[in-house]
Amino acid sequence: MAEKMQLNEVEVWDGNLAAAQALRQAQVDVVAAYPITPSTPIVENYGYFVANGYVDGEYVMVESEHAAMSACVGAAAAGGRVATATSSQGFMLMIEVLYQASGMRVPLVLTVANRAVASPLNVRGDHGDMYAGRDSGWVQMDAFNAQEAYDLTLCAFKIGEDMRVRLPVMVHQDGFLTSHTAQNVHPLQDDEAYKFVGDYKPYEEMLDFSKPVTYGAQTEEDWHFEHKARQHKALFDSAAVIDEVFEEFKKLTGREYKRVESYMMEDAEVAIVALGTTVETARVAAEELRKEEGIKAGVVAPRVFRPFPFNEIRDALANVKAVAVLDRSAPMGAMGALFNEISAAMYTTPNRPLITNFIYGLGGRDFPVSEAKRIFKEQKAHADAGYITTPIQQFSGVRGPKLGFFETKRS
Amino acid sequence: MSKGVLATPKRGIRELGAEELVGWDEVTQGTILETFETEVDNVAHIRPEERPYSDFSSYTATVASWRVIKPVYNRDICIDCQHCWVWCPDTSIVSRDKQMLGIDYDHCKGCGVCVEVCPTNPKSLLMFAEAEEPEVALTKWPEKKKKEK
Amino acid sequence: MALRPIKNLKEFSTANERLEGAHLLCPGCAHSMIVRELMNATDDNLVIATNTGCLEVSTAVYPYTSWDTSWIHIGFENAASAISGAEAMYKARKRKGTLKDPDAPVKFVAFGGDGSTYDIGFQWLSGAIERGHDFTYICLDNEVYANTGGQRSSSTPVGASTTTAQAGRVSYGKKEKKKDIVAIMAAHGAPYVAQVAPNKWKIMAKVFQKALETEGPCFINTVSACTTEWKFDPKNTIEVTDLATDTLIFPIYEIVNGTELNILYRPKKVLPVEEYFAAQGRFKHLFKPENRHIIDQIQKDVNERWEYLQRREEARV
Ligand code: SF4
Ligand code: SF4
Repeated sequence: MAEKMQLNEVEVWDGNLAAAQALRQAQVDVVAAYPITPSTPIVENYGYFVANGYVDGEYVMVESEHAAMSACVGAAAAGGRVATATSSQGFMLMIEVLYQASGMRVPLVLTVANRAVASPLNVRGDHGDMYAGRDSGWVQMDAFNAQEAYDLTLCAFKIGEDMRVRLPVMVHQDGFLTSHTAQNVHPLQDDEAYKFVGDYKPYEEMLDFSKPVTYGAQTEEDWHFEHKARQHKALFDSAAVIDEVFEEFKKLTGREYKRVESYMMEDAEVAIVALGTTVETARVAAEELRKEEGIKAGVVAPRVFRPFPFNEIRDALANVKAVAVLDRSAPMGAMGALFNEISAAMYTTPNRPLITNFIYGLGGRDFPVSEAKRIFKEQKAHADAGYITTPIQQFSGVRGPKLGFFETKRS
Repeated sequence: MSKGVLATPKRGIRELGAEELVGWDEVTQGTILETFETEVDNVAHIRPEERPYSDFSSYTATVASWRVIKPVYNRDICIDCQHCWVWCPDTSIVSRDKQMLGIDYDHCKGCGVCVEVCPTNPKSLLMFAEAEEPEVALTKWPEKKKKEK
Repeated sequence: MALRPIKNLKEFSTANERLEGAHLLCPGCAHSMIVRELMNATDDNLVIATNTGCLEVSTAVYPYTSWDTSWIHIGFENAASAISGAEAMYKARKRKGTLKDPDAPVKFVAFGGDGSTYDIGFQWLSGAIERGHDFTYICLDNEVYANTGGQRSSSTPVGASTTTAQAGRVSYGKKEKKKDIVAIMAAHGAPYVAQVAPNKWKIMAKVFQKALETEGPCFINTVSACTTEWKFDPKNTIEVTDLATDTLIFPIYEIVNGTELNILYRPKKVLPVEEYFAAQGRFKHLFKPENRHIIDQIQKDVNERWEYLQRREEARV
């Protein structure tokens, strides 16, 4: 039996350690992983737990991220709890298998310390890897700090393994900004945490020999579409279970999560929509602007990126006049992905706020409170003018001449 | 058309592709296929004709239409050596209790391997046109070949 | 561990088959002969992973499966990783007592073609062997990407014509030598590796049983004659395989613990390689006068290789 770890009421953990502790407490059966900056300490910390008797499960150090995800799928199909971690290039190498994991409907948890995607090579945080997973059929949750990385990782097992879901789940955190920044974390004790996650319930497992199962059959044009449709619906339907799990977690810890987080939105006239640590930057900016200039600024943050919270976004932005959607990923010849999705949601409301897009923070470029404030003020100017007074897409924080694309078409 | 030996009410009942095309709400979760309808206790100890195959097992499908020629089995000459059994690629030589019983015409593709490897003289398996009735084929069996000097 | 009797074919034939018919492999395909034999060699439960390839696309096409055992296919390259994961899960659950039937004997097996073994899945296989998982990997070596219509692999032998290494007016087909996968796997320190062929059913069954019984990762390269891409009549699969083993193009041998090499089959009469080539369309062009020297070269290589294997066997290295 694995040793228990006595934890203090408040621990000083970075996001990586917080995620590793959650994996330990969930008593994962198989962790198969390959290290990559900045998520390496997740598997290193876990390796410490293994070496010192805190883990009963298997720890398989494979030769690449592709193999890591492949071993995870094989392990998950064999009927137990599975988790791994990665970032950036490792995430890109896993992508083929991410689709296969979700297509086979195997629950497993991938903790991602987000990092930019080469070329050029860069180890710092942006959301390029997280965005690359957005069509992969996984539940994607986003933690904005170490506490949330811990909390959401515990929730991830419970969500993905729920019989109504049976899908793999990613928990994202910002590389370095969260993964390597020591912060106060209020953990659960081991027993409490495991009780919350619960025992793994096998389904169609390869190790039940009384019921042989075939995983990974081929489907051609007469079957493929139906399978994809069913999977898509399962991912949308997981929203209800996510809400349930968040509710249960709140009862246990007092910490509340929503699929879309809203800050100061009750009376907001302008809003920033963002992901990751930027959410906290934007919140500080909004608070200061409210005090300093009386601008009714608010912040909206999708906690759950997939399934995309279409309705909750519409509710959160129902009364704002101008919205800046911040994408921390190079969109390469398109508007930012988050911008597109927020715009699509808001287009179907009577409100139809003015929505602009900022590309920012690529490769770990700092995004200061002052820039968030400037963006809020620009939104205020749009709101007052009644139209978008700037290019619709702008680059924030890049050196060189101002970079922006597309104007509002006004007759 | 002969179904061959040890046919069951489940074996080879459908052409591949003739199964019912169900909607997205009825396809199996995760494309997972269960081989059997009920639990089995080590399938290696259960004879095929006694297994509870589900409709997802290809046991229930047939590839008989792939054949243009088919092997016919002549029990009278067979020495039960099991060469045909070990080398049939399609699990279509039916042997039980060390005895060759005949051919599963639901799954035989008519490759002719079994005929080639049959060591008797004349052969105990020969290829005939698909339409030929086995009983008729048996009347056309060749004589023993003389050893060539 | 329940090995099935293989003393003679009559005994062996009492196995209850676990690969069902109405799979989609070509008539006369050696793949299913090999897979059947592996499954019939044991009564234990099997968990099988299969790389993308002919075997995979033929045995699990929705809504049908030809497998009576647990089976998984993920991608072209990663069956070795998938089986690693399943084997690790078995160990973890056995330790934690969460298996439904903890005493049920089970063996972990992975299949791949030469495309996925020699080429695209090479790293995945290497990793799994190095990690020491308890599984048997079987390469169904038909020396070509048959599933995609006959392109060269690093297992395609010199002189064979494939769609991406074609014989033509100025080409005799593939020019590069076949990769020595058996030596590479033995060099990993795998406890048991071997090369076998289905025409020698008893040797193959023994080797399979030895691999299944050996704790740790085992690798078996099996010669799998492909009627479609080697271009011979489907009825001749075993005859062509006989030529492969009796010309010594495919020597049958095992290497135990990376050092002990044993030759498992010595043809009573060694045949010239051209008899093997003459039986297959993929080598047809080698009989043109301008290409005859390639046959001579290959014969020389085959002779040297056989010498080498014998020297190694004798020297116990
Ligand atoms: S013809 Fe081929 S498929 Fe049919 S029984 Fe003989 S070996 Fe099997
Ligand atoms: S190979 Fe011929 S003799 Fe041997 S069992 Fe089959 S039919 Fe009988």
